[in-house]
Amino acid sequence: MNGAVARPVTGFLGGFGRVGRLVVEHAGAMGQLLWSAALATVRMKVSFREVVTQMYVMGIQSLPIVLVTASLAGIVTSQQGGYQFQGNLPLYVLGSLVVQTMVLEMGPVLTAVVLVGRVGARITAELGTMVVSEQIDAYHSCGRDPVAILVAPRVIAGTLAMPLLVAIADVVGILVGMFAAKLTTGLGYEAFLYGARLFWHSWDLLYSLTKAFAFGFAIPLISTHMGLRTGGGAAGVGSQTTAAVMFMTLTILVLDAMMPPLMLQ
Amino acid sequence: MIHYENVHKAFDLPVLSGVTMSVHEGEMFALFGPSGTGKSVLLKSTIGLIRPDRGHVRVAGESVFQGGKDTLERIRRKAGYVFQHSALFDSLNVHDNVLMGLPEDELRGERGVRASRRVWDALELVNLEPTQVLGKLPAELSGGMKKRVGIARAIVGHPQILLWDEPTTGLDPVNTAAVERLIMRLSRELETTSLLVTHDVEGGLEMCDRVAMLDGGLVRFCGSPEEFRESPDPVVQAFVDRAAAEAALDLAGDPSGLA
Repeated sequence: MNGAVARPVTGFLGGFGRVGRLVVEHAGAMGQLLWSAALATVRMKVSFREVVTQMYVMGIQSLPIVLVTASLAGIVTSQQGGYQFQGNLPLYVLGSLVVQTMVLEMGPVLTAVVLVGRVGARITAELGTMVVSEQIDAYHSCGRDPVAILVAPRVIAGTLAMPLLVAIADVVGILVGMFAAKLTTGLGYEAFLYGARLFWHSWDLLYSLTKAFAFGFAIPLISTHMGLRTGGGAAGVGSQTTAAVMFMTLTILVLDAMMPPLMLQ
Repeated sequence: MIHYENVHKAFDLPVLSGVTMSVHEGEMFALFGPSGTGKSVLLKSTIGLIRPDRGHVRVAGESVFQGGKDTLERIRRKAGYVFQHSALFDSLNVHDNVLMGLPEDELRGERGVRASRRVWDALELVNLEPTQVLGKLPAELSGGMKKRVGIARAIVGHPQILLWDEPTTGLDPVNTAAVERLIMRLSRELETTSLLVTHDVEGGLEMCDRVAMLDGGLVRFCGSPEEFRESPDPVVQAFVDRAAAEAALDLAGDPSGLA
């Protein structure tokens, strides 16, 4: 009887320990990767052209999907807020709701989730394929540092591109939300902007961009780390890409949860 | 030139269990063995791509794993590595792929102009017409051409050592013979020390000065091709017979009839 009870407990503790060890292992490996990327950057081993190319891939090429996502987020927030406020609160508060929701949450998080799927998965699959086809070994054999060539440019580009994307997503989401509010609740633009200004703090913008900076740093770092740890051929690339997407999404949500106590007190 | 001493490596299971052998300067050395016996692992350890669990690897008197980063960089400069599946960089054209074989400091300024000339020369050495392939991406090349570009990348830096990891894998008999002739010619013309890992036992025996066979994680045989053919060791004999039978099967199955 005791043994029957103990087995699930030890099983649970064992699983907890394995997950803990995995987290520590990944954190250590990412710390090393980050250190190598920082050293390569400081030693001017990183190609400026590659950083610009990666910024184009992550920023410009992601812009259409980011704009669509931000617009839809603005529309949904505006409509649901309008529905909840009707008859309960002055409708101009909707301006504040849309602006705060877009700037504090929807803009950074939705943009990050889009980038996880569009950029992060691609990076992991690309680097994973390079590992299994021995291209990473080939870099080493040629005396080149794959971290300087493949990791550092992506991390720099992600960190720079993400705040710009989020700033655009914030503005577009608010504007589209404002139009949607006019169409669905009849709230005028002036009333919307009055409500928006009523609860606005400049700090909120800094908060939004800090989140973007953190997400833009985490996505390429995790995706390159996972890509370089790929093994086991095509199936390995597939499973590692799936794991990377889960890892990046969870990291974004955890970082998102950590931000308010750090910056909104 | 290359010395392996008591090299151990295990992944899930032991692969190398105390390999000790030497490749002498200027010789062409073939490494045989059944699949999974650690031939490629040993080859990769020569330039530090895989770190053994135990043992030492020395190249030109320098320790690959105990000499630090600068030593490893120096050893890698001395060696050219030809990968099993070419391992060309997908996003770079042939010119830039081969250029990667040169040290970074030889690509700057005036030396950069000379570097392009060296890429051209390396492609000609492997019987590729530079004007036709320089701008092409690896995806636009045939299997045989990819192999040659991979070889050009390995030789462009004029290495003292050439490491060949199953360079004829995946090629048809015609291309296999052509690549083997190329390996022999390059090793002679460039006066390099060559270590060749191959499943093509007949080809390896014809090309190389000495051969070794790995089995069960250890060196089962090391000697001249003639001694290998006449070895009384039943494991070596079985391996030679099996290789001969496979070669005969390949010849019979070659639709071109040219092999």
